[in-house]
Amino acid sequence: MRLRVGAGTHTGRVRDINEDAYMLRADDGLFIVCDGMGGAPAGEVASRIAVEAIVRELGQPVRGVRLQPDRSGRGGAAATTPAYLPHTNRLADVVRRSNEVIYDQAQKDPRQTGMGTTLVGAWIRQQVVGIAHVGDSRAYLWHDQRLEPLTRDHSLGEAHIAAGRLEELRRMPVEYQQALVRVLGRDPEVDVDLKEVPVQAGDYLLLCSDGLTRMVPEYVLARTFHEWREPQRICDALIAAANNHGGADNITVVVVEVTGGWWRRLSNRWARSARRGQYAEANVAV
Amino acid sequence: MPKLTLQYEGRLLKEYSVGVGLTIGRSPDNAVIIDNPAVSGHHARLFSESGAVILEDLNSTNGTFVNGQHTTRRMLRSGDVLLIGKHHLVFEQTQEWSVAPPQLPALGDTVYLDTQQHRALRASLEETRADVQTRQAQKAPAPRRIGVLQVIAGRADETEYDLDAHTSLIGKSQDALVRLHGWFKPAVALAIARGSDGYVATPMGGRTTINNEPLDRRQALQDGDVLNVNGLVLEFRWKDATATESAA
Repeated sequence: MRLRVGAGTHTGRVRDINEDAYMLRADDGLFIVCDGMGGAPAGEVASRIAVEAIVRELGQPVRGVRLQPDRSGRGGAAATTPAYLPHTNRLADVVRRSNEVIYDQAQKDPRQTGMGTTLVGAWIRQQVVGIAHVGDSRAYLWHDQRLEPLTRDHSLGEAHIAAGRLEELRRMPVEYQQALVRVLGRDPEVDVDLKEVPVQAGDYLLLCSDGLTRMVPEYVLARTFHEWREPQRICDALIAAANNHGGADNITVVVVEVTGGWWRRLSNRWARSARRGQYAEANVAV
Repeated sequence: MPKLTLQYEGRLLKEYSVGVGLTIGRSPDNAVIIDNPAVSGHHARLFSESGAVILEDLNSTNGTFVNGQHTTRRMLRSGDVLLIGKHHLVFEQTQEWSVAPPQLPALGDTVYLDTQQHRALRASLEETRADVQTRQAQKAPAPRRIGVLQVIAGRADETEYDLDAHTSLIGKSQDALVRLHGWFKPAVALAIARGSDGYVATPMGGRTTINNEPLDRRQALQDGDVLNVNGLVLEFRWKDATATESAA
């Protein structure tokens, strides 16, 4: 299995600075996207600290993996929680450590008080993607002509859906629905959502900040994958699409293509040239 | 509006509004004057910074403590208790607005809910969600089935494997649940992902058949499916997990 990677970040058309940060380590199969918040200069700082802390922590020897703190108060729920693969646990662990690093720094420096960052990280090992996720940066998998969401935002809107409070949600203005309930760096401890997905040759993984997903509807994302098939071109097309739709926030996109042997790449290319120009009729599902 | 309550030996002495900031000390030019020899002339100060209130010790002789911890500078949270000399100062962040939250930034901004009221809202949402989950669990008693792979033919370490992880791998890899042995076996031949409503098999490096049909794409597993992973024959079955636990 080999990976081909495309990535790009753009300030957008409204903001002055880019508070997003991303990190690619294609050889290790590790990819991170962070969207900092807290205003200049804190937002920029938080997202960069997160990325740097993760790189640094991964260089360290394993210091005993700490499992997710059980906040449910129901011991039984934790006991039945299924296990994750070692690399997913390790990713979750370094994300939790990066939370501590940001939190400590925010406590020390009053100019950075209240800084925080979202994070979506993917670590591909043994053909299984481990996803760690905090906030509203998202991960999607393009598989078999479909775009599958791998994360659910930690926003007030999603929290209402999870709690089954749909009536209240209906009355809530959209900017409230998008307000985050969980980020890195604002509390001494953070719950990191985890997910694992096996990938096959021909799959594409998308990591992006909300500057993309708030501007571009999912069917356009799906169509872009269908149309381009080439990681860097998909990134460029998605960033251009976000800017065309307003570009209200920083946009960061990382696309990872899982490639098989030469025959797979060839058939992919053939499929693209055969379908070009008629994608609107093709059965692209979201 | 954040406020400070000055207390001495459990008695409430005075309340102060923090506003944009205030100083605490023995000198009369402080906003909070504590006339006690253990308190420095200008002992500490509070100031607000992007919505948070920060406490800073002004190199006092006897130090400032927050919740029992010696502190030179930190962000205060509602309910924090400051100790200066022998006086306690309770910091409270009260909300004036009851329905409308404070200024929400324009669309496209990333906002985090961090005020006291929002904390309460988050907590109540968590509770409701937990309640919903518990109720669902009670409504359908013991639907806790897990999938198992039973070895029918071929070389394996066990006769039966419980698929209780999110992802179970079959292959030579040491992370694999079902270890394949022998030459020319792939590190990961097949991955079985556990979803909310069942299991999905994804072929990876190996040659896998399902019910004698080649498996070349993701497929949901059904009770009784027979997998052949590089010569190892496995049957997928549902098992009632609660029954085995009580038996064991």
